[in-house]
Amino acid sequence: METVHTLELKEVTKKMKGENVVNHLSFGVRKGEIFGLLGPNGAGKTTTIRMIVGLISMSGGEILVNGLDIRKNYEKAMEQIGAIVENPQMYDYLTGYKNLMQYARIMPGVTRERIDEVVKLVELEQAIHKKVKTYSLGMRQRLGVAQALLHRPSLLILDEPTNGLDPQGMHDLRNYLRLLADQGTSIVVSSHILAEMELMCDRVAVIQNGKLIRIDNVTNVTDQAQARVHFLLQGSLNDAKSLLAEHFPEKTAEVSDKELIVEANTTQEIGDINKRLVEAGFLVYGIQLKKKTLEERFLEMTGKGGDLNEVSVAGQ
Amino acid sequence: MKFLSLVSNEWIKIFSRTRTWVFIALPILIVLGVAIYGKVNEDDTVKSNWKQEVTQQNKDLKNQIAEAKKDGSPKFVAESLENEYKQNQYALKKDISPYETTSWKFMKDMAPLSSLLGLFVIVVASDIVAGEFAKGTIKMLLIRPYSRWKVLLSKLVATLAFAFFLWVILVAATWLFGSIFYGFGGMDQPYLSMVDGKIHEKLISEYVLANMGLEFIEFAVTVFLAFMVSTLFYSSSVAIGISLFLTFAGNALVLFISSKSWAKYTLFPNMDLTQYLDEGLQVVKGMSLPFSLGMLAIYSALFLIITFAVFQKRDVKA
Repeated sequence: METVHTLELKEVTKKMKGENVVNHLSFGVRKGEIFGLLGPNGAGKTTTIRMIVGLISMSGGEILVNGLDIRKNYEKAMEQIGAIVENPQMYDYLTGYKNLMQYARIMPGVTRERIDEVVKLVELEQAIHKKVKTYSLGMRQRLGVAQALLHRPSLLILDEPTNGLDPQGMHDLRNYLRLLADQGTSIVVSSHILAEMELMCDRVAVIQNGKLIRIDNVTNVTDQAQARVHFLLQGSLNDAKSLLAEHFPEKTAEVSDKELIVEANTTQEIGDINKRLVEAGFLVYGIQLKKKTLEERFLEMTGKGGDLNEVSVAGQ
Repeated sequence: MKFLSLVSNEWIKIFSRTRTWVFIALPILIVLGVAIYGKVNEDDTVKSNWKQEVTQQNKDLKNQIAEAKKDGSPKFVAESLENEYKQNQYALKKDISPYETTSWKFMKDMAPLSSLLGLFVIVVASDIVAGEFAKGTIKMLLIRPYSRWKVLLSKLVATLAFAFFLWVILVAATWLFGSIFYGFGGMDQPYLSMVDGKIHEKLISEYVLANMGLEFIEFAVTVFLAFMVSTLFYSSSVAIGISLFLTFAGNALVLFISSKSWAKYTLFPNMDLTQYLDEGLQVVKGMSLPFSLGMLAIYSALFLIITFAVFQKRDVKA
């Protein structure tokens, strides 16, 4: 038998005003994996998440949560999901605790001890009995995380979870998500912030205009020796380039400013290139190894387009 | 039971709002105020000379009736004045003082307060769905393992329960304050009403209880209407506005269409069920209590079908 994914989307489509906002999207999230949905604003990430949690209907396709079709087994499937969809809007006239009680009452197996445990986890002990209207954005976000975790879901879905978190908060959230994933929880995180995804996720699905561009392994992306080596040297860069073309015909070198940029895979290659340059009389005063970031991969994948302007590289 | 947890969640939310406590306190304070005011200003001379007073009233009524017939006011204006006139005559003949205040008479006099409660119920019913859409909290609720209809039904049940609660508060407060200020008892005080153009004498307690029962049915239909508007509109203030407009403009509308043959099939003439307790208050002819109850049942079913159908299918983008 095929291994059951915690979450599986098959050809999921959403039509709005005659346009496919989400277009035949398929992917599977494995048990204990942190899976990122990455794409510019308006790419269809939130729409996809809303379909998974049943807030909007699907125009076509299938969504399975632990093998349960959400259309046929809606309540059973939803029991296994904890989610934040965009900003976690809580009842601001209730205290944080009473907000959590609202959800505790209607989810299976949430005890008062569990509530206290989750409150401690998101470090809201001080403010939990204050009304939510007095909370900062970060506190609301943490309360949102708390409500999503209450019933120990096997699938946790967080839409832009780091919104409003300070660096420390983001760091804590990442660590906690990793802990949960190690315990077997599958986590789907959406973001348009690349750096964040790189730090947080195991795999990333890149989405643009509702379509899946590709699914990538984050560790591969960063570890893959797709490094670009920048040689800083004195002398004619063009001469250096032709030298390289002569000795390393399989390499393509680029010239930029005062650098010669070569894609190299191994330390051996880098050493060889350096040796050639030095032997030919170039003064090499620096070698920098720049790994391709997810961001560059992303740009490569999605091509050029106005949408890319919306992608932030670092935090907002 | 899990469904009851949904209902109690809604109930808790209703009672966590400051306005809810105003809705509860205000009718109680008004009833108390009126009771005190009435007691303080009780006019013993009118009470003992009530026959003179009523005779004078009838003289005035006669003039008004003649005037109403002359200047072409709608027919029911003259009719209702005439009924009043006849009742006064009957009271004089049978020696039944309309100025005798008892706790039950006080309850009857306080009955119009129920339209204030109607207003409060509209606010709660309008807000309970639209408000969650406006604030975005609806999505936190709809991602729980409950079919949408269950979530909506829990809100409806909570609203009806709240309407019932307010109504009980009003009945209890009027009875309690009426009894404290005007004495316990008075259940057997006669009450005059017109049925088929004739004067009927019945017990005031019977009248008050029937009145309250019918009013609660009106309440329920108001809830269904406001609840539907609440589901159709995303903003709670828009929903409140529309529901209030429908309810109050509806009554004015009745006057406009009262002569049309189809008027009795519209909602609003049927919304006033207490009209059947006192004939002559009827604006649209050709209706009866069973007819109106039937019409209200049909309208309520229609409202609920629309509400649930829309809610079930709606894409939540809040």
